[in-house]
Amino acid sequence: MALVLAASGCAGGTGGGDDSDAEATSLTVLDYYTDAPEHQQWTETLASCGRRAGVRIEHTSVPPASLVPQVLRQASSHTLPDLLMLDNADLQQVARTGALAPLDTFGPLNGATKGATSGTASGIDTRDVTEGILSAGTYDGKVYGLAPYVSTVALFYNKDMLAEAGVAVPRTWDELRAAAARLTRPGRYGMAVDANATFEGTWQFLPFLWSNGGDESKLDTPEAAQALRLWVDLVKSGSMSASVLNWNQADVHDQFAAGRTAMMINGPWRIPALKADEKLKWGVAPVPVPRAGQPPVTPLGGEVWTVPRSDSTARQKKAAQVLGCLNTPANTRALAAQHLTVPSRAGVAAEYAQANPSMSVFVDSVKDARVRTARLGVRWPQAATGIYTAIQSALTGRQTPEEALKDAQRIATGAGL
Amino acid sequence: MRRGEKRGPGPGAGRGARRAPGRRGLPSTVVGIVLLAVMLFPVYWMVNTSLQPAGGIVRGDWFPAAPDLGGYATALRDQGGHLVTSLVVSLGSVALSLGLAAPAAYGLTLLRARRIRLVLLGVLVTQMVPGIVVADTLYGAYAELGLLNSSPGLVLADSTAGVPFAIVVLHTFMRTIPREIVEAARMDGAGRLRVFRSVVLPLSVNALVTAGVFTFLFTWGDFLFALTLTTSGPVRPITLGVYDYLGAHTGQWNAVMATAVLASVPAALLLVVAQRFVTSGATRGADR
Amino acid sequence: MRRARERPAAWLFVLPAAAYLLLFLGCPLVQNLVMSLRRYDATGFATGDAPFTGLRNHAAVLSSTLFSEAAVNTALFTAGSVLGQFTIGLALALFFQRRFPLAGPLRALLLLPWLLPLVVSGAIWRWMLDPDTGPVNALLRGLHLTSSGIPWLTGPTEALVSVIVVNIWVGVPFTTALLYGGLQDIPPHLYEAARLDGAGPVRILRHLTWPLLRPVARVVVLLGVVYTVKTADLILVLTGGGPAGATQTLATRAYELSFQRYEFGYGAVLGNVLIAVSTLFALLHLRRLRAGGGRAVSA
Repeated sequence: MALVLAASGCAGGTGGGDDSDAEATSLTVLDYYTDAPEHQQWTETLASCGRRAGVRIEHTSVPPASLVPQVLRQASSHTLPDLLMLDNADLQQVARTGALAPLDTFGPLNGATKGATSGTASGIDTRDVTEGILSAGTYDGKVYGLAPYVSTVALFYNKDMLAEAGVAVPRTWDELRAAAARLTRPGRYGMAVDANATFEGTWQFLPFLWSNGGDESKLDTPEAAQALRLWVDLVKSGSMSASVLNWNQADVHDQFAAGRTAMMINGPWRIPALKADEKLKWGVAPVPVPRAGQPPVTPLGGEVWTVPRSDSTARQKKAAQVLGCLNTPANTRALAAQHLTVPSRAGVAAEYAQANPSMSVFVDSVKDARVRTARLGVRWPQAATGIYTAIQSALTGRQTPEEALKDAQRIATGAGL
Repeated sequence: MRRGEKRGPGPGAGRGARRAPGRRGLPSTVVGIVLLAVMLFPVYWMVNTSLQPAGGIVRGDWFPAAPDLGGYATALRDQGGHLVTSLVVSLGSVALSLGLAAPAAYGLTLLRARRIRLVLLGVLVTQMVPGIVVADTLYGAYAELGLLNSSPGLVLADSTAGVPFAIVVLHTFMRTIPREIVEAARMDGAGRLRVFRSVVLPLSVNALVTAGVFTFLFTWGDFLFALTLTTSGPVRPITLGVYDYLGAHTGQWNAVMATAVLASVPAALLLVVAQRFVTSGATRGADR
Repeated sequence: MRRARERPAAWLFVLPAAAYLLLFLGCPLVQNLVMSLRRYDATGFATGDAPFTGLRNHAAVLSSTLFSEAAVNTALFTAGSVLGQFTIGLALALFFQRRFPLAGPLRALLLLPWLLPLVVSGAIWRWMLDPDTGPVNALLRGLHLTSSGIPWLTGPTEALVSVIVVNIWVGVPFTTALLYGGLQDIPPHLYEAARLDGAGPVRILRHLTWPLLRPVARVVVLLGVVYTVKTADLILVLTGGGPAGATQTLATRAYELSFQRYEFGYGAVLGNVLIAVSTLFALLHLRRLRAGGGRAVSA
């Protein structure tokens, strides 16, 4: 960049970061937990881990869709926070820019000492962490991020509305189509998803794509087209609002909570907000599958925490301590219980499922959940862009699912912009 | 063009100059009010929605039967700081724009006509540069210079709208200041700088206010620079606050619209308090 | 020869502003060109490594359907907006020329939509045009004009129409003000003379008002085009360029490529295109200026 400035003769001078290695007393933290109760809970958890490490925490949240662009921008301007949360599917892309510090910088990863388990000494304990989430946090053989809990999506339904319409909880696509149609009334839709032109839209579509045998590394297949056609049919038949094109997951939740849709796809992190509304009677079931009896293949969600590189090793060390603290078995359990997600350590999760039967849908789904970057690695964002582009084109009727997915494949392979 | 001031703001100069006003015009008044009501309905809708009670999806009643200030409470809690940021940046931009434009406008009056045209053309051309291009390139430079996420950075970028506009408005006015006044001061031995400070500037108060009002509104309403030149931290103008709300809270239209109302206050206020300057600026400012 | 002596002082007054404009508006033009010839992506930006790639960015962007789509949308958006703003603005300006009580205050209030921050206007309209809960569809349903509601922001054609309509709403007040000013400059005695000759309102409009208004009208249209071509913010707020890219213009695509996908090199290519288009219309404007003796600078 300096070169460009010099070349054009427009500006001079280079900005120097402050490389004060003085004692770190406060850390900046960035995540996308913008929703009110969730944000508050995280502020408290971070503060308590910060106290243990002897630092004050400045906690900021931005909307999910703007996190990665913002992080990339901050990476270029060297203004990244000390501790950074990323959706696990975005980790490899960010790690590739060299903006993150490998976690073994702060001590051996598996050599868990007693100190490490309590999160106070150097060295972060990664034992028993579910393989999927660990691989999502790994780039080029090194672990960059660790998630306290994982999650996935499921089908939420309004019990009163289903009962009133005499509809059983749909388990297959055909049942979903029929149920959504029967649940639709004036001022209310049967079904809602997030078909936004962002990675959130892609994320919600993956259970349909994958459960039907579709594959992100080859998008122009009949399997993928069938999945996309299901969404198109739901909109065309009026069972799903065309506004799904603009809704994010929070909007979908708002629609469901306000009784404007009878069913929705969403994640367990919405449960605390749903529970807060006593009038709302809701249930949760696995995402419907093409044929009865199949297990749904859903994407593995869960946010990994990372330590961006900075000029101050003291701050990085403190950040790593806080990261370790968030990921102690005790804390993963507590955090999962708080956010109704699934602890990322297999042992803790099993024990947790026994104690919280209502979470069993998610604990079970997570076992078969797939990591989005597993197949494509750093090329995943391109494929994800292709997928949401195809969703938008098909739902607006500009292209048939087949045409839309052909273009998506071109985007995924970098042949189209 | 000094049309507004010379003929007075009244419409008497037009075609119907000789017709008596009064009852004959009343049907036109009615039509005018209806036209205005249609044009301003969205503004009414914003205020109406901002007063709807919170909770779930706002249903959009046509009238706030039971006004509820909950939306404003949420908006002020979340966005109060952003309003302050916008105020600071806007005032800073007014100061910078007038500080640069006033001397320049005066300097132009001292030049030969052909050169004036040349400079003014240059000013005009700068107004054609797309904002996204400026943002694109400033972003890289700001990253190097540490100006991202800072009020001074925003002031500098936002003034790209204010400076050219202020030069045009101020120059248009200053060239009408009678030469004799300036010459008289020169005779008394005043230097150029003193003439500018104690003769030209006091005479130009109206034009300065007009330029200032518009610079303030340009900066207050800026979205593109706010969106691209702030990446994190507490420096977030209110326009970005509204946008963030749209991204995460479309279920709570009352809070979104309450924020929108708060963001509209300066425009409405200036229209009421400084109406004369706003209308004269609008007829003159070939900008935006 | 006093003036010759004074000229250096005059330039000193002009210098700071000139330097600022050169740095903040002139430089970006150059830098944008440099950027468009290099490979600037996420990794490159983080590490500061941006190799020279010649015209490869241009080839990639200009040959993609994304570009042709954005170019067509930009043309439709600009033409529709300017046409709508001008027609409605002229009608309103003619209307406000009548003499009636409250004309002044009404004319001033009309400016409000133009003075509101664009984000606010966008937010209001996004809510008004919400297909399920917005008042526009509620009204249409109430009048039994549609049963399911029109997908104002979610149908590809409808969304483009919607952003044009909203942009017209934003621009009408300013256009009205400019044209009203132009009308006020027509000497009243010409109208008197025409009326004495027995000309009716239509003939007066066609043969007197319009010819005399034309110079101002030309400025209004040219400036309208220049300012509309580069619009990004209103569209970003209303539709984000969607659905399915139906409302992406050159400016919003440039934003998306640079600041969402972090392909600054690609974004800069679209920036170049925008600059070229703006320059073209600016030159047209300048030629008029020359012909009109600099009048329009202050119009």
